[in-house]
Amino acid sequence: MADHAATHAVAHAIHDPNIGNTGLDHRKMGMWAFLGSDCMFFGSLIGTYLAYKGKSISGPSPHDVFDIPLTSYSAALLLASSLTMVLALAALQDNRVKVAARWLLATALMGLHFVLNQVYEFWSFVHHYDLTLSTSLFGSSFFVLTGFHGAHVTGGVLWLLILVGLAWRGQLDRRDYTKVEIAGLYWHFVDIVWIAIFTIIYLIP
Amino acid sequence: MADHGTTAATHGGGGGHASVKTYINVAIVLAIITAVEVATLYIPGIPNWLLVTSLLAMSALKFYLVVGFFMHLKYDHQIMRSLFVGPLIIAIAIILALMALFSAFLLLPRPH
Repeated sequence: MADHAATHAVAHAIHDPNIGNTGLDHRKMGMWAFLGSDCMFFGSLIGTYLAYKGKSISGPSPHDVFDIPLTSYSAALLLASSLTMVLALAALQDNRVKVAARWLLATALMGLHFVLNQVYEFWSFVHHYDLTLSTSLFGSSFFVLTGFHGAHVTGGVLWLLILVGLAWRGQLDRRDYTKVEIAGLYWHFVDIVWIAIFTIIYLIP
Repeated sequence: MADHGTTAATHGGGGGHASVKTYINVAIVLAIITAVEVATLYIPGIPNWLLVTSLLAMSALKFYLVVGFFMHLKYDHQIMRSLFVGPLIIAIAIILALMALFSAFLLLPRPH
């Protein structure tokens, strides 16, 4: 049975250079490994925020500045964009490339909206509360954590827009399913990081 | 070449994917949980331990739904699961260790 599985895996490796001896796609494995490492990266930043929480000696406190309705709206945007991402993937699997491109564009636009909300939030903290990266432990740990998340979302938006461009130029079809799936994995990852940030940073008093 | 895409989807680590109907159902559940999370904040007189525990539980459920269904990890190969779940456990350990080191018992019981 094991020999048969190994033979099967090797046969696939011969046909497709992206499939290794394990029978798994290298690109997908690489993305999961990257996401695992990114988990530890964000774990460190969230841990740092929690370690410093309530220890600032100057500046406003978190719950003086947080705008929960705006942040909830941003959270809803990212969750909705995760749905449009999987719908794009499902459409591509059925070779409905134009539909897939529209769902990808919707995902990118919601991501862009999220980033703009975050830019407004940062601007508001700086101009209304004098809270900057160097004001307090809260300012430093908050801006570094949410800023890195925002950078990840921005990178994801650019990636999605590139895929949309490829689809519009006829350079994307169901043969590229794994490429889009990998972009989707990255996109859902920024969503789950926000799920954690939204609860731990914004909602828990 | 068209077969290549199917191969990658079915043998490249993905044992299968949820249906569109399942995706929509998961999205509805996620929206409901998010609404309940935010509403919980406005319940007057709710004990802090209950608020924190329920928020963390709802967040963990949302995390599981996105990773399991949208990221297809529920259907993926064991190696893919290990590549993600292993570092995730380390990340949670890092958070708990930092909180313990800095005596930041915001979520953990405060020692007497």
